[in-house]
Amino acid sequence: MSSETPQAEFWSAVKDISPLAIGVAIYGLAFGLLAAQAAMSELQIGVMGTFVFAGASQILAVERLVAGAGAITAVVAAVAINLRMLLVTASIREVYQGRPWWQLVIGAHMTTDENWALMLATRAKGRNVGYWYLVGGGACLFLTWVISTVCGVIFANNIPEPKALGMDFAFTAAFIAIARSLWRGNKDLLPWLVSVSIVALTLLSGLLDSSWALIVGGCAGALTAGLIPSE
Amino acid sequence: MSDPWFVIVVLAIATFSIRIGGVLLGQKLPNTGPWARALNSLPGCLIISLVSVLLLSGGPNEWIAGSIALAVAWFTKNLPLTMVAGIAAIYLLRL
Repeated sequence: MSSETPQAEFWSAVKDISPLAIGVAIYGLAFGLLAAQAAMSELQIGVMGTFVFAGASQILAVERLVAGAGAITAVVAAVAINLRMLLVTASIREVYQGRPWWQLVIGAHMTTDENWALMLATRAKGRNVGYWYLVGGGACLFLTWVISTVCGVIFANNIPEPKALGMDFAFTAAFIAIARSLWRGNKDLLPWLVSVSIVALTLLSGLLDSSWALIVGGCAGALTAGLIPSE
Repeated sequence: MSDPWFVIVVLAIATFSIRIGGVLLGQKLPNTGPWARALNSLPGCLIISLVSVLLLSGGPNEWIAGSIALAVAWFTKNLPLTMVAGIAAIYLLRL
């Protein structure tokens, strides 16, 4: 596997992530509409997108505020949904290894579900991509998210609901495609079955909400893989 | 401080701490043995868990569209094509 230059990695990630960026833009517009209902300004939404940059948690936090739940409740729910990011950044440690501190800061902040998963899927296809591919995808999503959320607040009246367009399914379909690329064959069967079963049991029994079911399911599958001796 | 600014500042600090915490945790875990195998399997397990959460939060329409997306993904391994197939399927199923 030959390494690519940082610039080449960066721009090929921008190109590869564009279908996901379209989905992000549509969600960004819808989020801006929601934020307008919470009486949040363009400035607040721009600052939030820039420094939080975690879409699902932003939507949840503002949705709680609109529902009148109070700031503490809104933050707790949003932080809970982001706890998985600890596992996301930990799982690609080689990407950050030996990097100067400022690259760690940028790399960590630019890591989202979408560009993390896309980088892994691209690697599974045999390309030796790493830090700059992650950051390139992240930067593209970052600009898309900040611009679309601010536009959503400004043009709050003329925005279609993502669900009416079937766009709420865009990310489900994307993660199905990425899971397919990450499938390494029989050795993944048992860990993945454990993950799916734990998620289904904890979620359907009402034992955990979806934020925690995801974390517990992911960890249970990974620990199963750790306990299986390698060939 | 008003509610939105409180939420923005606290959520920004917490989210960055979580992300950088994972980076630092990853550097601390061993490179071989059970922990390394677990960490190598973590991405696939997290993504399949995420897909499970998303599909279980939906109903029969989402399950059918998910099956169609899986079939397209299985044979093509193509991300944009799978997204288009999934969105088209859910759109038509909901008509």
